Amino acid sequence: MITVTINGKEIKLEKPVTVLEAARSAGIKIPTLCYHEQLEKYGGCRLCLVEVEKMPRLQTACTLMAADGMVVRTETEAIADVRRGVLEFLLINHPLDCPYCDKAGECELQDLVEKYGPTTGRFKEKKRKAPESLEDPVLVRNMERCVVCTRCVRMCEGVQGAAAIGVINRGGHSHVEPFSGGRFECEYCGNCVSACPVGAIMSRLHRHSYRPWQLVSETETICPYCGVGCTLVAQVRDDVIKRVVPRIGTPVNNGLLCSRGRFGYEFVGSKERLTTPLIKKNGVLEQSTWEEAIGFVARRLGELKTRYGGDAIAGIASPRCTNEDNYVFQKFMRVALGTNNIDSTARTGYAGAQAFIENIFGQGATANLIPGLANADAVLIAGGDPTAVNPILGLQIRSCARKGGNILTIGHVKGVRHYNPAELKPNVHTEAALLEGVVTALKEKKGLPGSIQTLESKIKEIHRPLDDAARTCGVTEKDLAAFVEALSTASTPALVIGKEVIQSAGGSYNLLLLSAVAYLVNARIHLLSERANEQGVVDMGCAPDLLPGCRPLSYVEFRRRYEAAWKSPIPEKQGMTIFDMIDAAKAGSLRALYVMGENPVFNLPNAKGVEAALRGLELLVVQDIFMTETARMADVVFPALSWAEREGTFTNMERRLQLLRKAVNREGMEDWRIVVEVAGNMGVRMHFSSAEDIFAEITRVSPLHRDLSYEELEKSGIYPYKGEPLRGVTGDIAVAKPAAGDGGGLFLGIERPLFHSGTLSRRAPGLVKIYETAVARISPATAAARSLKEGDMVRVSSVIGYLELPVAVDFAVRDALVMITNNFEGRGALSLMELVLDPVLRAPVADKTAVTIEKAGR
Amino acid sequence: MTSGKILKTVFFVEILKGLALTFRTLFKHPVTRRYPKVKVPAKAGFRGLHALARNAEGRMKCVGCGLCGAYCPSKCIHIYTSEGDDHAKIVDRYEIDVLRCIFCGFCVEACPFGAITLSEHYEYSETSRGAFYMTREKLLENWDKYFAGPKGERYFKEFWLPQSNTYSSYEGQAMFRGRAKGKE
Repeated sequence: MITVTINGKEIKLEKPVTVLEAARSAGIKIPTLCYHEQLEKYGGCRLCLVEVEKMPRLQTACTLMAADGMVVRTETEAIADVRRGVLEFLLINHPLDCPYCDKAGECELQDLVEKYGPTTGRFKEKKRKAPESLEDPVLVRNMERCVVCTRCVRMCEGVQGAAAIGVINRGGHSHVEPFSGGRFECEYCGNCVSACPVGAIMSRLHRHSYRPWQLVSETETICPYCGVGCTLVAQVRDDVIKRVVPRIGTPVNNGLLCSRGRFGYEFVGSKERLTTPLIKKNGVLEQSTWEEAIGFVARRLGELKTRYGGDAIAGIASPRCTNEDNYVFQKFMRVALGTNNIDSTARTGYAGAQAFIENIFGQGATANLIPGLANADAVLIAGGDPTAVNPILGLQIRSCARKGGNILTIGHVKGVRHYNPAELKPNVHTEAALLEGVVTALKEKKGLPGSIQTLESKIKEIHRPLDDAARTCGVTEKDLAAFVEALSTASTPALVIGKEVIQSAGGSYNLLLLSAVAYLVNARIHLLSERANEQGVVDMGCAPDLLPGCRPLSYVEFRRRYEAAWKSPIPEKQGMTIFDMIDAAKAGSLRALYVMGENPVFNLPNAKGVEAALRGLELLVVQDIFMTETARMADVVFPALSWAEREGTFTNMERRLQLLRKAVNREGMEDWRIVVEVAGNMGVRMHFSSAEDIFAEITRVSPLHRDLSYEELEKSGIYPYKGEPLRGVTGDIAVAKPAAGDGGGLFLGIERPLFHSGTLSRRAPGLVKIYETAVARISPATAAARSLKEGDMVRVSSVIGYLELPVAVDFAVRDALVMITNNFEGRGALSLMELVLDPVLRAPVADKTAVTIEKAGR
Repeated sequence: MTSGKILKTVFFVEILKGLALTFRTLFKHPVTRRYPKVKVPAKAGFRGLHALARNAEGRMKCVGCGLCGAYCPSKCIHIYTSEGDDHAKIVDRYEIDVLRCIFCGFCVEACPFGAITLSEHYEYSETSRGAFYMTREKLLENWDKYFAGPKGERYFKEFWLPQSNTYSSYEGQAMFRGRAKGKE
């Protein structure tokens, strides 16, 4: 126990901390400028100087460790004098343009000068001049204001790991500049913006449109983009989100955000938002009233149900909607329409992969804490770039590398390339062979633990010596052996599985091999999730074979329990998956489709085919916030409220339940309320008046969510659930081995950029400015072989269609691939892709689409 | 009751005294002002209707820093700014709800540019509430109307001393003098 006395107050410390931290813990404020909770100590600004008895000079509190018996004074006349001097120095160059500066009011320098600073300065020299840099689309740099505390630089390098900015020049001329000069060309996480104590680096999105004290409300809510579930604070003026900031101390992201979270909020206030319900009359969507639209949908659904039966109707739920929305929606499908035809786009990978892994290891196998990744001593990344798909999870991997952990990647992972990863780059379609080799070697090295028999019997069947694996995959045996060595010696390894593995030919076999690796080295598994509530939509039973709480429909006891709770029979027959629905629509056996917050015409492979299939429907109902490709085809479109305008819960990829709070007011109905209204018009009463009511029912009904309440969620997210997981219900492991690779040629790859997510980010101007349009990303070798150069328009064609896109030459792309995003309207990669499903995972196979590339306009 | 009081009451002495005063006053000049025909000049520092000052070039002095609105005890000043075409800050809306204003003059004190002023105009009569909701244009009109000519200059010298006078210093001193004059 260390006892220090600060300003006459005795403070007992459990563990050694600095004087500054000791003072803060006792509520004593010591002024700082270069100190930041998340950064390494720097001791550069000299504002935290304090008097320590028996020490001859003033000491910096931020670097001085508190020692037993220390007597510290933080506010004396001598210290105030020194601080005044320091501030006078800082003001030599800092312009006093506070009335123009957007930071004024929350500027740390301004506050300090107000408290300690001199009223006048004694320096006669001219101030340093530097024009404001507006070259970047989302960040503005004003280097006159910079006080060179280097918080942004340390944040960029030490926390974000991007190392995009640095201090250039010396002395009074030193200032911060991105290495690329004008534009930042970085990851645009914007963490430098939240680190900057003055107005030197700021966001352009809300430039000059508010003063900090005019932001009347701030709401802590959950990011709507990816499955990490970062807490963000939306600051609002006049029901417009002015900016989004992180908060230190939140469970998942702890004061960090990525580009999507920080700069992607503007879609909420977009003018393109739907405002009134629309009904298609004579082929044109016309404005209508809520009563008319709800009545129409209820009547038509009722008619179709009586004529064709409930199984002719299907519903698509949304991983962008809250748990409450999805719960109500699946209950509506099962109770009001009497069908299990409900699914979501989680089926395109996440749901199948998770079911596969949970079948082996038991429920909750993928529910591992994201910050825990930083403490792993080896991280194996397979199938995607975690720093782009789930950026905050990616930061934990970088943090692990910084602490000395081994980063092992299969394929080139651009986001960790600066962290000396052990990279294995197998030839296209030979990942399985590589993993077979790894499993065989690990099996020999580590032996079989003997706990999961079903998996071990599969592992025993795998045999591929290292040299054979290395030869097949085109990697050196030495690299492969080192890779296996690093894995086998790790004591707390983690495995990060991305969508590219799941969506590959033989995805289930790859997953089996990865599970085997995880099993042999005892690794925690993290399954990357692209949408905010991808886990929640599965947990809520928006799947044809699952009831809420991930209870299998096929077990009679579970079904009985839900039937008793809902006081209504639940159909026994397993429903259709999202892909079955499209097939059924094509075949004509599906008559109506109710889509809640999803865009299947764009987000499913073979867009044209999906569109044609949906055209044959008798009724297509779409609930969305924008006029999407699917909404345009709909018979009825309901405008929903967006993420910022409602309450509810999201379940993130680590199965943490977190509360969404209403940040802005808008006229309209939440998704669940629309569904409840439609159900009510069909004669099925659901008595919900708020999201909390629904959650109360969920906690009553779902064993996984038992005994939870909003009150508890209010404090912080809940992890892990208190409810009963479903362990022990595991079956035989079915796998489908991939067919032999079909050799050379170019294949289509789906690029998952850091700056976009689905079709939502299209409407966020900030993100669009960073990443403007779709490109065909090819490797330098591919470009050279076809004499293409950056910016050339090319036609990328597959069997079912073609896209004309500009070329971008990228060193990170493999020679056999053409990477295209699936975010931009009319230019989505999935429109080129034929729909081929993995027989086990029921996920589409994305890596087998052969494409050709040629100069356009010939 | 004493006999004197009884006599006074009986003979209406007090009423007669009063009538005598009335009679005397009939022959004197009136002391009241003949408002609205005759108007009293306001003293320096009078806090009347608001106006937004123009600078020498005739442009609005206000930069939209929002300090007046932050100070305003009745919260009747609403300012909306945005980024202009040349990336400078422009004031889109500057609105004062005059009916909520208590004419404390804090806004004038808070303004670092001497942009918001309280004129000598005190005659408020309109037929609608809307007329008392001052927009940017109306406030600038008020300046033209009530601070025409040298009056505007005098305003800041007589009572509302500019803050830069209080903290006078040499050129190059770490002090903000406004950037509106011309861009570097």
